[in-house]
Amino acid sequence: MSPALPAGLEQAFRFAVGELGMCSAAWLFTREVAGAGGDEAVGELRDRVGRAFPVLDAITSQWLSGTRAATVDPAPALAACAGASRVLIVGIESAFLDAFVPALGEARVALVKRSVFQVDWDRVLANYHPRLELVDLDSFQAWSGSKSVLLTFVYGLTAGGATHVLPSWMRVYGDDVRTQFRSMIGWDVLRAPMYVYPRWLVETPAGGFTHLV
Amino acid sequence: MPPHPPSPVASSAISAFVDPRRIEALLAPWLPDLGERSFVVRCLIGEGPAHHRGANFVLLSLLGEVALRCGATGPSAAESSVNVPMRLPPHLAARADDSNFPLRLPTAALDRLAPAGSREQSAMIDCLTDGPPQHALANVAMVTLLSAILRRLEDGPK
Repeated sequence: MSPALPAGLEQAFRFAVGELGMCSAAWLFTREVAGAGGDEAVGELRDRVGRAFPVLDAITSQWLSGTRAATVDPAPALAACAGASRVLIVGIESAFLDAFVPALGEARVALVKRSVFQVDWDRVLANYHPRLELVDLDSFQAWSGSKSVLLTFVYGLTAGGATHVLPSWMRVYGDDVRTQFRSMIGWDVLRAPMYVYPRWLVETPAGGFTHLV
Repeated sequence: MPPHPPSPVASSAISAFVDPRRIEALLAPWLPDLGERSFVVRCLIGEGPAHHRGANFVLLSLLGEVALRCGATGPSAAESSVNVPMRLPPHLAARADDSNFPLRLPTAALDRLAPAGSREQSAMIDCLTDGPPQHALANVAMVTLLSAILRRLEDGPK
């Protein structure tokens, strides 16, 4: 075993994805592992943990192909939110939220309190205090309106015009909700197709979003 | 009983003629905000069953033609109107501070059918604004255009 990859790595990553998001955690772990053991260690990270976490598999693959950082550009997402007074976010991707949330101006912004991973929501909230609010699945529709937008993170596009989203998006998004929010924005944080089975994610038509950025 | 004959119209053609830009241009005088206008147009011709999308497009486009030919251009500043509510879960509707669609239902045209404030007119408003957003907003958009047309006709030639 490479000394750069300690035992319990998958457990640590599972903990990190809850509060950071799969893409953000993957880039963090990939950079740290690369710093300790270079591309060889990244390859081992991919082999050991990538099968269970397809986003990590995709990002380590990107690293091994020469990409050294995620593209974190909030401008298109902010443009899609222009004029909105409320932005309701489904899913956590901390690297992207860190750039996006502070730039939202006067709009209220909230996060739907739902995840397929274990999350310490108080800690997540503290990271964005006081800018971010938490909303339950039972009451998120109180945030609806003609100046309200829904935003979630999507993970690459398939050749067939589909993308992959977190299951929590499928809990929020329905035919009734589509006509209660001005826009449904999908922010592609992976920008590459996944190689292994997209565990933890659900395939959905990309055309279901009013904006795909 | 003979089998139901297949429709001559292919599924892909049902709403292939729908052009959102035409409806957006139609509603622009009443919905100057681009985001709100796009939202309403999406609800009219981008959501729900395909045949309703197509029907909404045809009916609104034809009404738009009539409005154009008689010079009905937009809303009247003094025109009375009512909210068109989103059908949120009841326990949340009171908490939401923006639970109405951005297109309001003008009621002056309804005064021709029932007195303003009467139970009859309230029932008419309820009928027009109830149901799926695709239907409700189509009703509201049509009454909006009809209201402008009637007002223009009453104003007489210019």
